[in-house]
Amino acid sequence: MAQQNTPQKTLESWKQIAAYLERSERTVRRWEASEGLPVHRREHEKQDTVFAYKHEIAAWSRLRTKCPGTIPDDEAESFSPGKTAANTYLTEHDAITRTMHCYIAGARAGDGNLMRPAFHPSATISGYCQGVEYTGSIQHVFEWITANGPAPNINPRFARIEIIESIAVVHLEVKGWSGKLAGANAWASDVFTLLKWNGEWKITHKLFHWHDR
Amino acid sequence: MRRPLEATNFVRTCPLTPRIDATSFPRMSKIEYLSEYDEIVKTIQIYIDGSKQGKSELMRPAFHPQASFFGYAEEQLAVGTQFLFDWIDRNGPAPKIEPRMVSVDILNSIAVVRLEVAGWSGKLAGSDVCMSDLFTLLKMPGGWKIIQKAFHWHG
Repeated sequence: MAQQNTPQKTLESWKQIAAYLERSERTVRRWEASEGLPVHRREHEKQDTVFAYKHEIAAWSRLRTKCPGTIPDDEAESFSPGKTAANTYLTEHDAITRTMHCYIAGARAGDGNLMRPAFHPSATISGYCQGVEYTGSIQHVFEWITANGPAPNINPRFARIEIIESIAVVHLEVKGWSGKLAGANAWASDVFTLLKWNGEWKITHKLFHWHDR
Repeated sequence: MRRPLEATNFVRTCPLTPRIDATSFPRMSKIEYLSEYDEIVKTIQIYIDGSKQGKSELMRPAFHPQASFFGYAEEQLAVGTQFLFDWIDRNGPAPKIEPRMVSVDILNSIAVVRLEVAGWSGKLAGSDVCMSDLFTLLKMPGGWKIIQKAFHWHG
């Protein structure tokens, strides 16, 4: 393992990470924030420095290309708030998709805090796992996601997005769940209810069914 | 049956603490689908009957004890089922509501129902108003229960 930490196996700055992926620094920073690009930090007194392992970046890149649920970079750029879709319905649809991708990014990275902005503060969760009902505050989801750790192989599909003015329902099918708590190659069906709140779509409820094998 | 645990008793391990013991839910056959569908429609009908009569106690059995409620009432965000129950009681009877179940989707132990209700009336509703509802439901040992009602009021 020590061999992987030698300088030639690591990228030592945003500039090097960007060059390795042949993208701009701005793009790779965004990928870290929203898509779980594996970037590490060394703590220093004044300012932390970033570094990344080439093998981790390469693995992330491979999975991302394979995963149809991930937005290609060009498309992601067109989702930026500055651009407007052709009509109101599409604008709302895109905004909802963005919120859901924030959830997916957090799930993939194993970082509950990363997905927190996708949720309304009073959001709740309920559902079944192995025949047992779980109901409570959304905080438990954030804790579960963080405890579960990275799930790089999740393969999400939007089975349904339905918008009724200020509310919406999203049915997400997620295969390939993995992690410390999820086990290997698990499958979850999620139904999210969303509310347009202060101009942004927020998840108010996550209803799930964890499929037994 | 073991006494249900309160939501505040959640622990951080593995992964959430169960609220109740429940039997496992095997995959549904087509025949089971029909009976589940009928049970879900019955639960929604309890909500509709309560709305029509303007009595929250009639609709309460349709809701999970920890159900949530979200939506805008005259630009103000209304949160919590207590708001709904108070509103139904204060609004009073709405005998002319015309409900339609636009969709019923069942995913094993969970379900989504979209309900469109035209002809809302009453002390708070005014007259002839439409409401769109998204109900999410959870299958419990005692039947299907509404775990969330999200609504849009077409005022």
